[in-house]
Amino acid sequence: MRGLPHEAGGRALRRGRAFDLPGIGTIYAPNITPDSETGIGRYTDAQFDSAVRRGVGPGWRHLYPVMPYASYVKMTEEDVRAIRAYLMSLRPVHAPAPANQVRFPYNIRVAMIGWNLLYRPSGPLPDDPGRTAAWNRGRYLVEAAGHCGECHTPRTMLQALSMTKSYAGAMIDGWLAYNISSDVDSGIGAWSDTQLAAYLSTGHADGRGTAVGPMADVVSHSLRFLTPEDVAAMVTYLRSLPARRSDETIGVVSPETLAQLAPIHSNGERLFAGACTGCHLTDGHGRQVDFAALWGARSLGETDGRNLVRTMVEGGTLQTAHGAMVMPAFGPEYRNQDLADIANYAISHFGNREGHVTARDVAAARGGVSP
Amino acid sequence: MLTLQVNGTAHQVDVPDDMPLLWVLRDVLGLPGTKFGCGIGQCGACTVHVDGKAVRACSLPVSLVGRRPVTTIEGLAEDEVAAEVTKAWLEIDVVQCGYCQPGQIMAAIALLKGNLHPSDDEIDQAMSGNICRCGTYRRIRAAIRNVAGAV
Ligand code: FES
Ligand code: FES
Repeated sequence: MRGLPHEAGGRALRRGRAFDLPGIGTIYAPNITPDSETGIGRYTDAQFDSAVRRGVGPGWRHLYPVMPYASYVKMTEEDVRAIRAYLMSLRPVHAPAPANQVRFPYNIRVAMIGWNLLYRPSGPLPDDPGRTAAWNRGRYLVEAAGHCGECHTPRTMLQALSMTKSYAGAMIDGWLAYNISSDVDSGIGAWSDTQLAAYLSTGHADGRGTAVGPMADVVSHSLRFLTPEDVAAMVTYLRSLPARRSDETIGVVSPETLAQLAPIHSNGERLFAGACTGCHLTDGHGRQVDFAALWGARSLGETDGRNLVRTMVEGGTLQTAHGAMVMPAFGPEYRNQDLADIANYAISHFGNREGHVTARDVAAARGGVSP
Repeated sequence: MLTLQVNGTAHQVDVPDDMPLLWVLRDVLGLPGTKFGCGIGQCGACTVHVDGKAVRACSLPVSLVGRRPVTTIEGLAEDEVAAEVTKAWLEIDVVQCGYCQPGQIMAAIALLKGNLHPSDDEIDQAMSGNICRCGTYRRIRAAIRNVAGAV
């Protein structure tokens, strides 16, 4: 979600992606076009830098850490200045952000001063001379500019990133941001460098599935524009993250094995054959495009099927060099139980796990309609 | 400019990279035998063969076809399996309105080329992504079984 918050309705950077923070409220990303009244047109370099890296806007307004300044504080001053120069070159759009709706005590912005004292790092990370230039560059991209931990690291009670579970995966906005630590069973330890680089730069890696939800946004609007050297640097650094085991382990079943599986004649299998095989072949390959290949996809190894169900009910879009890859949303023409059956079939067939998706889960993903 | 191999002929087409193969076939190359149904990979009306496999032309960006040969329903005049399928289709009188049929036939031929004697499960598996609003499913299955018995 944090990949491109300043976007709404196709008019990038104008304003207003809403962040729903359970128990806290709703916070809107503001306009960052050069509009002088509602955007950043009147910000000086120093004011822009202060907002991005310290979370303090003009007039001592303390930003909420939805804006990942706790990561951006590790960016260099030059890079932040370059970002402002780019933003100032865009067409200004007049669009005030909706007012945030934040519950007590989180609505006391000055409380953020205390939070910052406790949790915000103090400045850019000095290069570690004991490591390669690629590792240091990768650390900068992952920890600072890319702020991967903001989604992939669980938060503590006070919304700070957990040190002991760094990159072990976390729920964010109803999506599971997967474990990307180097743990072999539950992280990315078993991925090859080629797979990691492909996933970061295109949103898909053979045998690892395709990014959906917020990660598809991150790839679509950000990661796919990185240079191959920067992607390689990220891979180098990600590989060095300490292994953190989490509950969900990954099961990769090869297309050869999938092709041999006998039919089970369940409702889910029957529906999958009708509704899904137009794009997703049961041997795990994509029918038209590799982006639809399901073998090894993490969403199918996760027995609660959280990301899977969200993807089914919301659909998804991944921007690629070959245009948008689109998964349609499965709407009210399917009963909740039908979608649960499809999900459980897919989890058992592709993930070799027993799925536990219920009609209630589907209803919840559809926005609380009862099954 | 892209080069596309369609029905044995190389075509130069000047189209956007992300244009669906279906649009190129129908609107640029003038091959209307392949039908548009849903545009999102759900109905099978647009099924063609790419490298012998049944794919939905509506959901394949033309730039991802590469050098793989494309065959449409127009390109099967000389094909033996296609001749058997046509015969079986006529014998059983499968077609009702006909709109879905190019897609059904392309899916059936791709199945039979890979597996001349498919089991009922295999027929269902290969054909269930092809929707027929007229409900000709039973006749389609019967025709495929007849081909499998005949060859
Ligand atoms: S038009 Fe291609 S599957 Fe429906
Ligand atoms: S024959 Fe009419 S849609 Fe199939």
